[in-house]
Amino acid sequence: MQDDHKHDHQTVEMYQKLGHITRQLHDALNELGYTPVLKGAADELPDARTRLQYIARLTGEAAEKVLNRVDEAKAEQDAVRQHSQQLLDTIGAVPGLKWAMPELLEWSQKIQASTERTDAHLTEIMMAQDFHDLTGQVIKKVVALAATIEEQLLQLLVEAAPQAHPVAQPSAAGASARPHDPLQRDALSGPVVNPEGRTDVVTDQSQVDDLLASLGF
Amino acid sequence: MPDLRFLIVDDFSTMRRIVRNLLKEIGHADADEAEDGVVAMHKLRNGRFDFVVSDINMPNMNGFELLTQIKSDEKLKHLPVLMVTAEARKEDIIAAAQGGAAGYIVKPFTKATLEDKLANIFKKMGR
Repeated sequence: MQDDHKHDHQTVEMYQKLGHITRQLHDALNELGYTPVLKGAADELPDARTRLQYIARLTGEAAEKVLNRVDEAKAEQDAVRQHSQQLLDTIGAVPGLKWAMPELLEWSQKIQASTERTDAHLTEIMMAQDFHDLTGQVIKKVVALAATIEEQLLQLLVEAAPQAHPVAQPSAAGASARPHDPLQRDALSGPVVNPEGRTDVVTDQSQVDDLLASLGF
Repeated sequence: MPDLRFLIVDDFSTMRRIVRNLLKEIGHADADEAEDGVVAMHKLRNGRFDFVVSDINMPNMNGFELLTQIKSDEKLKHLPVLMVTAEARKEDIIAAAQGGAAGYIVKPFTKATLEDKLANIFKKMGR
């Protein structure tokens, strides 16, 4: 109970100090004439957000177009594969044909092998469209970040105005550091953009498997 | 196991389509889709499914919350849930395993990885 009271007191003291620093920053911004620069930056953020959303929409549409074409191409490939199989069956069923015209058999077998390879390529092309999901998640995060920065810049501008009100005390509950909770969407980090030097993330499926195996899963 | 019915849960339609097509290629053509955990729970409670493939980072109800709800529902807790996600933090992988996920695939992944994980899960299920 006493510890809680002490912790609350320290938190209030910390926010008072932060408020003081913020006030000094506001004053410095005004004196140095940076307020218009901040306003310009705040004004540009909605445009940046719109541009990012445009990229997300266009890449999404492009991925869908590719998937549509892949579906169609796979169906065509399957038809070719079935016809080449019918040809192989026919050659086998006509007595002496495969001896009389061995190239027919060879060509049909080559077509069969080729359709299988093409189908595998089409699967790879389909899988590559996952870039839309991965980049889309990153774009969503950047758009949210831009919105937060814009909001904070506007708040700073409001408070740096000549008739500024005293700095509002932030809510301790809302601003307190939150431990990582996987159930919280905000706590999820999305794709790892730069894994270099990080030990808290995995970079491929084999590391996932090793981690789970080491824990007995 | 061609008779299994899958539910694919992901907020990106592109990824749902990719997983659905892959499952079809592997031999599981019977699948439905949901764009988040809320829609997934509604479909699971009102339909017959044998397997869930779920993303984690989704609006309304994320994959962890979905996993928790499935595992705490008497009628659904037997369902294997395979997480397919871009979340690559070790603590998320461990949380998924401790929460009862049957497997964890990190994006981007390959057809072989999906095939391999499904085979492992089916083996553990004794199917």
